Amino acid sequence: MFYIHQTVCVSAQKTNGLIDLDDIQPIKDNKLQAIEPNYDAIPPAMYRRMGRAVRLASGAALPLLNTLTFNGIVIGTANGGLEDCIKFLNQIVDYNEGKLTPTNFVQSTTNAIASQLAFFSSNKGYNNTHVHRGLAFENAALDVAMMLNEFPDNSYLLGGVDEISAYQYNIESLAGSYKKESISSAEDLYNSKTTGSIPGDGCTMFAVNKQKTGATAKLKAIGTIHTDKVEEVTQYLTNFINKNLGESSLSLFLSGENGDSRHLPYYSACQNIVPNIAVERFKHLCGEYATASAFALWLACHKIQHNNLKNVLIYNNFRGKQHSFMLVENA
Amino acid sequence: METATLKQQLKEQIIQFLNLTTFKPEDIKDDQPLFGEGLGLDSIDSLELIALLDRNYGIKINDPKEGRKILVDVNTMVAYIQQHRTK
Repeated sequence: MFYIHQTVCVSAQKTNGLIDLDDIQPIKDNKLQAIEPNYDAIPPAMYRRMGRAVRLASGAALPLLNTLTFNGIVIGTANGGLEDCIKFLNQIVDYNEGKLTPTNFVQSTTNAIASQLAFFSSNKGYNNTHVHRGLAFENAALDVAMMLNEFPDNSYLLGGVDEISAYQYNIESLAGSYKKESISSAEDLYNSKTTGSIPGDGCTMFAVNKQKTGATAKLKAIGTIHTDKVEEVTQYLTNFINKNLGESSLSLFLSGENGDSRHLPYYSACQNIVPNIAVERFKHLCGEYATASAFALWLACHKIQHNNLKNVLIYNNFRGKQHSFMLVENA
Repeated sequence: METATLKQQLKEQIIQFLNLTTFKPEDIKDDQPLFGEGLGLDSIDSLELIALLDRNYGIKINDPKEGRKILVDVNTMVAYIQQHRTK
């Protein structure tokens, strides 16, 4: 598909700047909120209007935009600037559909993120945003892969971003998406027998193209499936492995297990498809959010680079219905 | 309302509406231009200020030329508010 050259990951962990994944940052108030990066490079007039998602994405993208040239920007985000969206909708009610202000509206659209990045870099190239909930990032990556098939000399900025907004947190809590009991460690999360997970947010950016030279890793294949049937997921994974891995062996299975008892059967079944392979989980690092798979891809690249792994298979599912597999290889 | 009190209130509202988190009311001078090299506001901010006048003082500005004369600095805004406010 394509090679990954540079990455920036803004998460609840020390993944940006001085990377230290051994110093795991604690879960606070049952949430894993991203540590906001340095925003000195953002003009104050722009910064004061930005919602959290746009801020996170700008902080993650600017180091890449300032040093590299891209032919396009492709972002995956399930909700974009949801907090601003709610502010805008509340204004409509509070002011009886009267005079509305533009800032919240502009910031609330999901494509505000990719367009803000284009503004920063005066990038007039391909600019697209994918919003397919738990497969938003995967579809953004597939979009980039198709663009690179058509224009193999191009380079793209690929990103995944989502924010925890107060409104979203409340609604998802009422819907049972998050745990009610206190979770303060990975052990708490993965040993839990209850439903729900812990919310997270963050942004991960990738500089990608078709050039092998200098690449950190290669995203060899992506597979996605919508289903709630475990057997359909495992069958899909079997076919995915047969098609893309061939006779090679896996180095690591990176599981999106999130502590939700409703989703555990999918992860367990997929682990059984690749027995005797090292398994690591990542949701205790980044929390559960729709584009957490972007964090997983960054983690896979990091592990391939620093642990000299041959390949990593990522499996993630969102709400037990949107499943994705990504096969990442040493470049 | 006394002019000084209204100025203070308006400065607080400007900071809140425009999310000027690094400013305090005392940082905004009464005759400091709102746009350009003064407070550094832009065209999007002018729409926010028009909404501010509408929501907080019941003043509707529909003519852009009129807006340019009103949204000059805190002094001009306060003078207009005192003459035209409906709430």
